[in-house]
This record gives sequence, C-alpha cells and structure tokens, in this order.
Amino acid sequence: MKQFFLASILAGALALPAFAADYTIIAPANPGGGWDQTARSIQTVMQQEGISGNVQVQNVPGAGGTIGLAQFASQSKGNPNALIVGGYVMVGAILTNNSPVTLNDVTPIARLTGEYEAIVVPADSPLKTFGDLVEALKKDPGAVSWGGGSAGGTDHIAVGLIAKAAGVDPTKINYIAFSGGGEALAAILGSQVTAGISGYGEFESQVKSGTLRLLAVSSAERIAGVDAPTIKESGLDVVVQNWRMVAAAPGLTDEQKAAVSTDIEKLVKSASWQETLKTKGWQDTYLAGDAFKEQLAKDISATETVLKDIGLVK
Amino acid sequence: MNTFDFLLQGLLVAAQPMNLLYALIGVTLGTAVGVLPGIGPALTVALLLPVTYKLDPGGSLIMFAGIYYGGMYGGSTTSILLNTPGESSSIVTALEGNKMARAGRGGPALATAAIGSFVAGLIATMALALIAPFVVKLALVFGPREYFALMVLAFVTVSSAFGDSTLRGLTSLFIGFALAIVGIDQLTGQTRMSFGIPDLLDGIEVTTLAVAMFAIGESLYIAAQGDLGPDKVEAVKGSVWMNRQDWARSWKPWLRGTAIGFPIGAMPAGGAEIGTFLSYATEKRLTKHPEEFGNGAIEGVAGPEAANNASAAGTLVPLLTLGLPTTATAAIMLAGFQQYGLQPGPLLFATNPQLVWGLIASLLIANFMLLVLNLPLVGLWVKLLTIPKPWLYAGILLFATLGTIGANPSVFELGMLLAFGVLGYVMRIFGYPIAPVVVGLILGPLAEQQLRRALSISQGDVTVLFTSPIAAVLLVIAAAALIIPLILRARGRGEVLAQLAASED
Amino acid sequence: MSKGHTPSTETRRPDRAALVIAVFLAALGGLIFWDASRLASATGYSGIGPATTPFVIAGCLLILAVWTVFEALRGDFPTRDRQEVAPVVWIIGGLALQMLLLKTAGFSIATGVLFAATAAAFGKRKLWMTIPLGILICLGVWLIFAGLLQLSLPAGPLEHLFW
Repeated sequence: MKQFFLASILAGALALPAFAADYTIIAPANPGGGWDQTARSIQTVMQQEGISGNVQVQNVPGAGGTIGLAQFASQSKGNPNALIVGGYVMVGAILTNNSPVTLNDVTPIARLTGEYEAIVVPADSPLKTFGDLVEALKKDPGAVSWGGGSAGGTDHIAVGLIAKAAGVDPTKINYIAFSGGGEALAAILGSQVTAGISGYGEFESQVKSGTLRLLAVSSAERIAGVDAPTIKESGLDVVVQNWRMVAAAPGLTDEQKAAVSTDIEKLVKSASWQETLKTKGWQDTYLAGDAFKEQLAKDISATETVLKDIGLVK
Repeated sequence: MNTFDFLLQGLLVAAQPMNLLYALIGVTLGTAVGVLPGIGPALTVALLLPVTYKLDPGGSLIMFAGIYYGGMYGGSTTSILLNTPGESSSIVTALEGNKMARAGRGGPALATAAIGSFVAGLIATMALALIAPFVVKLALVFGPREYFALMVLAFVTVSSAFGDSTLRGLTSLFIGFALAIVGIDQLTGQTRMSFGIPDLLDGIEVTTLAVAMFAIGESLYIAAQGDLGPDKVEAVKGSVWMNRQDWARSWKPWLRGTAIGFPIGAMPAGGAEIGTFLSYATEKRLTKHPEEFGNGAIEGVAGPEAANNASAAGTLVPLLTLGLPTTATAAIMLAGFQQYGLQPGPLLFATNPQLVWGLIASLLIANFMLLVLNLPLVGLWVKLLTIPKPWLYAGILLFATLGTIGANPSVFELGMLLAFGVLGYVMRIFGYPIAPVVVGLILGPLAEQQLRRALSISQGDVTVLFTSPIAAVLLVIAAAALIIPLILRARGRGEVLAQLAASED
Repeated sequence: MSKGHTPSTETRRPDRAALVIAVFLAALGGLIFWDASRLASATGYSGIGPATTPFVIAGCLLILAVWTVFEALRGDFPTRDRQEVAPVVWIIGGLALQMLLLKTAGFSIATGVLFAATAAAFGKRKLWMTIPLGILICLGVWLIFAGLLQLSLPAGPLEHLFW
C-alpha cells in the first residue's frame, strides 16, 4: 500500500509539464518558519497558476537569513531563475551580524506581505492607554520591561523607535528578549513583564478573548477590523512594518529583471495567492519597482540609526 | 458531559476504515523519516506536512497526527538499537536502551518504549482534554525566576545521575556549557565564541552535536577495537517479548514518567528533554536494581520514553489553549493547524470544538496505530542488529550524515559533525560520559537566559530569585538532592540510601 | 578539536594523556576568557552581561584542569583499551572526503565513498566493489528522500540523470 502510495506521488510529480522558467527559491530559514512558508506558498501558487512548471524550495537556515543571503549572492550570480525570500528581519540581522553581504548584493523585486507590530499589556494592568505606557516609560524607563522577540529584531527596533520618539534615551529601555513568540506571549500573559510587543497575529486571539489589552499598532493608518489606535495618533511618529519580500540574483540584465518582475506580479495578482494570504492571515503589502527600492533604502537607514541608538551596532 | 460527546464523535470519525488507513500511512512515513538520526519530530512533520495537503481535512488531520507520533517513536528505535539518538529527547533512552540491546534484550527495550509511549500518550491526551485550562494557569505562573530554579534542579538531578566519576562528569558538562556559549547572545545580540564565522552565529545545533557524539563517536570507537572488540551482538537472548518481570518493572516508571513529563511539557519553556532527564534520575533513585543502571535497566527506558511522549501531549496544552508554540515541533504543528483553518488560542475550545476534539481523537487513534504497527515489527527491528558490522556501521554513518545534510546542506555543518565525532571518540577512550555534554548544551543557555531575564525584570535585585514560593521550593529540593547524599556519604552511611530504596514499595 | 590520542598507556603514573586533557581544558578556558573579555560590558538592568557567564565557565574549566592534573598524577584515570589507528583513519578519511565531494559530486557519490570507507574500516577492503555498491544504495536513498520527500540533498551529475 505504501509503495503504491509513494509511486503515485512519484508518477504525479513526473507527469508535470515542463515550463520555460523553472525557479529555485532559497528560503534562508528552517522549514516551518515565516520565510519558509512564504517560499513554499510561492512554490505552490506558481505551479498552480502555471507561472512556472517546476519550482524547488531550498532551505539555507542561519543567522537571521544572512547565511542564505551570502550563499545566494555568491552562487546565483546572473542566474535569472534563482529567487530568495527575505524580509525586514534580514535588514537588522545584516547590521547586527556585520554581514559582508547586504541587500545591495542582490536584486530586490517586490515586497509581498507584511505585518504590523502590536503593543499589548495584560488585561489587569493599570496601564489603560498607550499614553499611560509612554508616561510610565518617561518616568522610569527601567521599571517598564518590554517582552518581545530576539535582541535587534523587529520588536526590539520598534521599542527603540518608540523610546526615541518619546524623548527617552533608547539605551535605557529594559527590553527582555525571548526566543520565539510563544515564550514572550507566556511572559506577558503571566504579567512577568510590563508590556509586550510583537506582530499583531501573535496576539490576535488573546486580544479578542480579552486576556490582553491592545494599546496601539505600528501601522500608518488604523487597520480594518482591529480596534486600536496607531502609535502615530498618540503623537509619536513611529511606523514599523515587518515585511517579507522576494529578491532575484545579482548581475541580471534589464530584460531578465523585467521577466522576473512580471512573473511575481502575476503571482501576486492571482486568485490563489489572495486565497493563500487569507488562510495564512497575511496582509497584502505588495510594493514593486522604484517605489519598493525607495522604501527599502529608507528602512535600511532608519534601522541602522535606531540600532546604533540602542547600542547594538557600533 | 459535553466534552465526552465531542470526543466520542471525533473518535467515530477517526475510526472509519479510510481514516485508519491514513493514520497507518502517516505512522509509517513518520517512523521511516523519524528513524534518521538528526531528524527529530519537528523536521519530520515539516518535511511530510505537504503530503497531507492532498487529503480532505479529516483525513489529513489524522495522517498529520500519525506522522507526529511516528516521528517521535522513530527516534527511540535508533537510540535503543544503534545508540544514535535522533533528537535531544531520546538521548536518555539510548543510555539504558542500547545497553539492553547489546545484551540481547533489544526486544523488551523496544516493547517497553512502545507500550510506555502508548500508555503515556493515552493518559496525557486524556489529561489534555480534561485539565488543560487548569494546567495552563499553573504554566503561566512560571516566570523567568521559576524557570531558573527549575534549571538548577535539572542540573543537580542530572549530574547525580550520569557517570561514575565526579570529575569526568563535571568536565563533560562544562564542555557542553563551553559549546553553548557559541553564537549570538540572545539577550544583547552580541556574538560570542564565533570568531567572525557566520555559520557559528546561530550556535551549535543540538542535533548535530548529539548525532556526532553518539553515532560517529560510537562508530569510531567500535572500529578502533579492531578484532579485540566484542563479537557480533547477540540480537535476541531469551524472549523477544517482555517477560513477567519486565512488565512488573515497567508499569510504575511508565506512570511516573507520564506524571513528570506532562506538566513539564505544558510549561512554555519546558522542553521534552528536561522531563526525560528528571524521569531518568527519578528511576535511578527509586529502582530496586541500582546495579543494573548503566548496564541496561529497563526502568531507564520505560520512564524517560513515557515522559517524552507525555510531554509531547503536554506541549499541546499551551498550544491549543493559548496559541503558544513552545517547542520547534509545536511551532510546526501550529503551521499545520492553520492549514486546517484551526486558529489556536483561548477561544478555540469555544468556537471550534469539533476540530479540537477531532484532533484529540486523531491523536488517540494515531497513538494506537503506532502500537499496532510497531509491536509486530519489534522482531524485525531487532534483526537490524544481526547485520554484519561493516554494513551496519556503513549504514549508520550514511543515515547519520543524511540527517545532518537534510536538515542543513552545508559543508561547515558536516565539518562540525566530524570534529564532534572525533571529540566523542576521544572522550569515550578516556571514560568521559557523553550525555552531559549534550545536556550542558541544551540546559546551559536556558539557565543563563532565564537568570538574566529574571534579574533584568527586577532591575538587578537578586532576592527575587528566592522570594517566589515556587522558585523557593524548587531550589530547596535541588539543595536537598545535592546535600543529603553528601552528608550521608560523609557519615559512611551510604548503605542507608540503598536500604531506603529497597524498602520502598 | 582533534588532540592526538596516545594509543598505549603502559606508564600508569603520571598519566601523560590525562595531562594533555588538562592542558586542553585550560586552553579552552583561556580561549573563552579571551573571547569574553573583548565583549562590550552592556550589563543593562540585570547586572549580568553577555560576558559574565563565559567568565564563570572559563574559571570552572581552569579549576577542572587543575583537578585533572591531580587525578592524572595520582593515576586515577581508568585503564584504556588498545586503540587501532587504521580503522579510525578510514572513517575520518571517509567523512572528510564526503565533506569535500558533497557540493561538486552530489550526495550519492560523496556518501557512497563514505559508505565504502566505513566498510573498509571494519575489514571489507574491496573498494572496487564497495564504492559502486555504496553509490547505488545512496542513489536509492536520494531518490526516496530528495525525490519523494523533498529533503534538500545536494544533487550532482549522477542525480541529474534521474531528476
């Protein structure tokens, strides 16, 4: 039975027609994580929509994606069929790890999805609004402990930006890094820390059930269906998006770049991609071409400044 | 009452013939991949998840549960037979299990692991259904300082349970600590012991170290014995099945392992391996056959295996009730659940009861299928040992490197595999225990981070470590476990301990 | 990592190999100490910085090194079995070759060589037979795990014939 089962998968895989562009996507993370899921979703949708007949996903995990990025930049030069998935976390990791390979060494194609940061407190916290939290922070930065993801990651950067905007010395923030969202969430729920910060998706069900109070989100405008003000509304000019993108190899001709961009645009516009976004709960923040390039440059320089302010980058 | 209606309904769906078949396929695939050293349940589930996409939701949920259990059980098979644990939670199984296999008792070892896993899985899954909301409250009380106290307790029990020389045991543990420093410091983002090598930034992978130290170190050591080494292993001595005494000695460790594993698995920063360490230490303390420990004591397989499975069910408590993925495996399962439109969180039991109970029913069925598949296969698995040594070890190294390459196809990772393999070999020559190295690598960073988090939250006030009641109790137990044997030994009354252990029961 | 293992130890005291271990432990401690001392002392609010734990571990390793010296001088280390060098060299060589060949020759050839080398370590030295056998087995393994189960195992010329 098992042989039959396996043989039928094998036969099915072999029967796939060959298309012109066979993409190989590097997911610079372990199987199961956000970048891996993005890469595998692209794989599925591209094959379903006939954009590419055969898409391979290869995992090159390590060091916030910088190992995968370095390998991609050196081994795929001039290869129009090679793609890599990446994101905002990579921007920070390149800076904190002193990575010799940066996003300038690849060809960013488009931003695909993104998630905004959410700031929460336990339901029984005396802090009722984001303003209360900022006041507490101003009074004694050490007494406000923030639970979030790894040091130098998106969550940490966002806290640094908030402190700076509020006029508090960013090196004085009491940021407690946890491994993975789950552990941070547990510490917030157990009132071990004053406030928590992470992608909104991590907190969504807790906020809905009322065990956590959502104080603010880091988007530019209010998010539909989320009952919380933006950080901007409270007078602090902070917008942070934890985005994911796809990039092509370095050294491509303009025609090759255009071809990849067209394929990615087809992907994003397809019904099955929109369906995937919905089931995974990802926000569509598609941005391509020069607009993306500009935004990327802005993100990189802002990140560098704040990491220096926090004291993580010299 | 409502709960049981849902569970019954779920069981009826899961018990349909087609779904049973899916469970069997899942268990088979999971076992086949999970058997590879270096590929634990997390990676097994991640790799095989796409296979389930092709089925309807009910069938794919069941196959998913099967893969999960199969992947977990696969690791213990190789631990017992080949002394090559596939993941950190089956390291302890290898300690006694492999000794049993070498003495021709691989059959009973595999059987007690399988039945122990089944019993633990059964009890823990039922517990998950009944007391999840209560356990989760307890888990949330655990903050960094409580975890730090738990780590201290784990260190004390572990160090007393491994090895016959204090110096060599401690040395092994500290080599593990030294390796644990490598990589980015999680709390400040600074790189330690990485010497500018990007591959070292994420630290040393536990599975790489475990596979290298056990599989490669062991192969080197056996090969170096040349003709002087032990002859071909006698695969089966006595019955391949568990005898009356095996049963008598197994059932209590199963239950104790379950009782230890489930709550630890339910803690957001617990981790399955801590439960197995504590269970092993407990069984070693309580056994009536202390002389067998280190030479193949069945309690040392039964307890930790049960603890491992129970803690796997335990991790589902925070996952389902809070949406907290507390282990790598749980994180992958979360991704899997989302595929079925199941959004874990506090509202899950209220908004989506059919799916939750369907999942729990699937886990029960998959757990049962695992037993159905593996008990008859015990005889076949044990035959593995009769393969002539050259081919057996060639195969072990083939699969050990396959696991490492599959997880991360990097030449650097293979280089580390080789280096740690040699280290494991040299340590074997000089009689250093291997397991403490891996324990140090796992627990060292946890203890350090939790301590620093606790002190950071308290802004440097050390007294918080002792003022929490739970932390204080854990530390007192740890201190007692460390000091009492010393005092007793100092007074020359070591035999009192043996007396106490013997009169127990 | 590979410190030379002294094959025979008829000399019971002092135990020279054990002294080498003590030196190794001390060197490891020194290395950690050196590495940690260049870290910024960003202790934050906890009072424990990234360098604190490494310092403690380095100190303990030095103590363990001294303790090892005492046990070595007293001859407290257990007796060791005689180690054959040739099989060890075969296996290490096989692993090293696999590492070097993996990216260029692909999984099957590289691992097939390791397979044959390991068999040779245990006495099957007919390489003209074991290497092809190993490559064949590994190709089968590759087809199952890379082909069907989507594990990313590097492909070489041989694998490209099939996929």
